[in-house]
Order: sequence, then C-alpha cells, then structure tokens
Amino acid sequence: MLATEVRALAEGLGEQLRTRVNDGVVEAGFPSPSQDYTTAEIDLTDHLMPNRASTYLVRARGHSMTGAGIWDGDELVVDRSIRPQHGHVVIAVLDGELTVKRLRIEADRVVLSSENPAYPDIAVPSLSDLRVWGVVTVALHHVSRTS
Amino acid sequence: MSPAPREAVIALVDCASFYASCERVFDPRLEDRPVVVLSNNDGCVVAMSQEAKVLGVPMGIPWFKLEPVAATQGIVARSSNYELYGSLSARVMEVIGRHAAWQEVYSIDESFISLRGTVEEVIQAGRRIREDVARCTGIPVRVGIAPTKTLAKVALLGVKRSAPLSRVGVCHFGAYSPTQRDTILASIPVTDLWGVAGRLGRRLANLNIHTAADLAAQDPGQMRRRFSVVLERTVRELRGTPCIPLEEEPRQYKDQLIYSRSFSEPVTTTPAMRQVLSIYAQQLASRLRNAGQEARVLTAWASTSPFATDQEPHSPQISAVLPVPTAEPVTIARGSLGLAELIRPGTRYVRAGVVLTDLRPAGQAETLPGLGPPGEGRNLGPTLDAVVARFGVGSVGLGYGGLGTPPSWQMRRAMLSPRATTHWDELVTVRL
Repeated sequence: MLATEVRALAEGLGEQLRTRVNDGVVEAGFPSPSQDYTTAEIDLTDHLMPNRASTYLVRARGHSMTGAGIWDGDELVVDRSIRPQHGHVVIAVLDGELTVKRLRIEADRVVLSSENPAYPDIAVPSLSDLRVWGVVTVALHHVSRTS
Repeated sequence: MSPAPREAVIALVDCASFYASCERVFDPRLEDRPVVVLSNNDGCVVAMSQEAKVLGVPMGIPWFKLEPVAATQGIVARSSNYELYGSLSARVMEVIGRHAAWQEVYSIDESFISLRGTVEEVIQAGRRIREDVARCTGIPVRVGIAPTKTLAKVALLGVKRSAPLSRVGVCHFGAYSPTQRDTILASIPVTDLWGVAGRLGRRLANLNIHTAADLAAQDPGQMRRRFSVVLERTVRELRGTPCIPLEEEPRQYKDQLIYSRSFSEPVTTTPAMRQVLSIYAQQLASRLRNAGQEARVLTAWASTSPFATDQEPHSPQISAVLPVPTAEPVTIARGSLGLAELIRPGTRYVRAGVVLTDLRPAGQAETLPGLGPPGEGRNLGPTLDAVVARFGVGSVGLGYGGLGTPPSWQMRRAMLSPRATTHWDELVTVRL
C-alpha cells in the first residue's frame, strides 16, 4: 500500500511539473505570479486532528471541568496516540464509564482532578490501576448556537 | 560467530473477535463480558467475543433462541454496527501499515505485511504493532509470523490456541526447532489451513490427509495434478517456500456482486417488492461502478421463510441478460423489477436479493447509437451517488425506490450501538 502511495505521489509530482512547464514557462513566456501561491483552503481536521487514525470525537456531559475550558455539550478531540503525562486532560475509565479529568502524577500518588471546586478529585491507588482511554487535545465550544 | 540472518518474513495481523472488540472500544463495561453481535435484522449470532465462545454459544444461533438465556449468563447482544466496524477497520489497517513497507489488507480484520530481521527483532516488531494498534485504536490484534503466508496463518492459529485470553499475542514459526514445527503442523487439521475449504478437506481425508503435516508431506506436483495449482502452492508454502505473493492492490475484479437482505417485516405486495428491488438495484449499480466494472447478467430472487408452516413456500427467481454490459442503475432496476410480477400477493416473503454476474471492466463494450441503456450518457449513477453521499441513504432513489413512505421492511437494528465515528449526532458521551 505504501508503494502505491509513493507511486501515486510520484505520478502527481510529474503531472505538476509537466503542467507547470506547459502553463507557465514554455508557452506563456512569463509565469503567472499567483500560481506559486496556489494552495488548498484551510482544513480544520488537519490542524485539530492531525492523527486521524488514532483520533476519536466524543461529546462531554457535566460540569466538573469548567476550569479547563470544557463545558457541558462540548465536543472533545481525543488523540489516543499521545502517551498520557502529568498535566494532560485525559479520559479515564472509571467503573466502566469514560470520565474526563486532569491527570496529576505526584511523588506519592496519582490523582484525577476536577477543575470545578464543586466536584471532588479522585485518588487512584497506583498508576497501574489507572486506565487512560485517551488524551483530550481540543474542546470544541459552541458560542452561538444557530440551529 | 556470524550474526543471525535478517530474513524477510510475512506477518499476518488479525483482530481478535473484531466486531465484539469494536463494540468494546466506546463501551468499556463490555470488557471481560460475553458479547455477541447479530446479523442483519438481529437474526442470528454472526460474531462473538472469546468469553462467549468459552460459554459455548454456537455461532449462527438465532437470537430468539439465545435471548431467553442471555441475561442469566450475562451475555450482551449488539446489532451489527457496520458503520463503526468499517471505520475502525480502516484505522487499524492504517496503523498496521505504518510498521511495514508492504501491506496487503486481506479482509476487514486481517492484513499481511512483510517484515525483515532476526527472529528476535521480528518478534519485537510484532509486539510493537500490537501495542501501537491497541493504543491508537483500542482494538486488540494478534500477529503470526513465518516465511510464507500459509505458515503465517499456522503461526496465528498457534497464538489463538495457546492462550486465547492472555496478553501474549505474537508467534514466530521460525522460533521453533524443526521437530517442534512438525509437532505444530501435526496438531492442525488440514481444513484450518488458509484456502482449504470443507469439500476439499473431505477429498483430502479420503486420501488419509488429515493434518497440515500430512499435507506438507505430499508431493507438490502430484497435488497439482490431483487437485489444483492452489493446493500445490499450499504444500510448498507449508514447507517454507513462498509461493503466494503479497498483493498490494485490493483484489479488484470480482466474479459476481450480490445484494441480498432479510426484511424486518415480510413483504406481501407487488408494489412493496418493486420498491425493494429498486433500492437493491441502486445499491448494486453504485458498488459496480465504484469497482470500475459492468455486468451482463442479472438474477433476482425472493423467498418465503423456511420456518413458516401456514403458507406454501415460494421462491420466485428471474434471470435477465442485459442489452449491453452496464453499471447503469435504470437498466439494472428494470432488469430486476420483473421479479415483482412473479410474487403471489398475500404470501409473506422474508428475503430477496439481486445478483450480477458476467462482470467485466467498464468501458470495453461499444454501443450502437440509440441502443444503449436509457440512463447512459446522462451520468445518472454518479449523480445518485453524489446525492446519497451528501444527504444520506434513502434521500433519493429510482422510481419505486425513491419517494413515498420509508419502506417498512428496512433493516432492524434494535440493539445498535452509537455509530460513533461516522455520525455527528451519535458521538459517544463522556462524563465530566
């Protein structure tokens, strides 16, 4: 499959070069100044979820993470290829439920902390007891619901 | 001492209980529980987790028979979530592909890749693939490694047999001594081998060839003369000589295309059957065109339930040779509609299908002006596909398949999990 991609890429490049020679230099005399700047529109998925194969989207319900900028109804981008570290907002498996918390790995304990004073932190006995489902990289918060 | 050889080997990477594993990704409560996945219309069990196999749930058992005991045994059932399985399969295959220069995606849950290295290096690579796929996608995979595809499948059987529920999931055939390899081959029924189906298995049994070791001991040339070149290759591959290359491209040209479904509610009238056939024809035309093929022969059929005792069984069928080979939906729909005239109104039909055969690459036949299919040149197929892609299945259809009330016979999926990776409205909820 990789070889197919390489071949497709090579063919694509060859095509581009040919096109450029025909359109720009040889026939038209002067290349159009704009054609070097031709590019695709910004695609949000490229920027918000660069690892498509390992990224899942989920919808958040609840109020315990408002301090982290995650609100009830937000969509979350979860990149499972990232290894969870201290300080990451993670989705942990707690009693079979997917739960969003801030991961704090301290010298003597592991804590899944809420970022809303009204909600308690959850102490994890040890790192081996912790099951992280994925690392949350982005929260999509809708500011004007239009429909 | 010379360094250990860095040989090219083939790894077969296989998803463990793929459908059940997909169901677990977004629902961790299903972990360690027996999970069964049901066929179209929640008819019967088509896939299950290892825990369900251990309980002895028979593959194919109708759900109505399993349901009464399911709850007491803790069995969880799910309708087939094809959208989810397809999406997760593509992700798994992409992650596997990152680990190899060559990859063949063999099925929705199996992929062959090539690896190079010493036995120890390749086993390490297999472990990295397992770890990477599990972390990135949530799907557990197992890896069987050997010099040939056939032996890679044997190595994978070794993984499944030795400890189906354990975390060990990589087996390298080359890690065993020749004596051990013979013992392994002698333990594997010949019908478990890749490409040896049931009928061939019975013919081999008549020749006293029961295990992989029995087959490996045969003369390859004789196997070709008595059976086929395919079986000759299997013999050579069992002896360690690669004969079946990795196919980079998906096998493109199929011999036939089938679209058949059970209805959630019986179809009893000619108009309802016309609607069924129109929709099936549109689906088939779309698949055919995506495969770059055209069909010449069409067969359509419908059948009553074999379990119904209060009516005569009836299975009407028609075949039609299309005017020219085509992938054009109107022609295919017209060809199949004749079946609707053959049904007995009032009789309850539970299943229908359309089969296209005599397939060939598109664009080979020449058509005389005016004699081509009615939709030809009007780009009808691509237009229908574009509308469906934008507005969803059922948004537009041919003739009888198009307008009016949504058909009542469409697929029943009462225990469907969220289509969490393909439908924005079905994203899985996480707790804050």
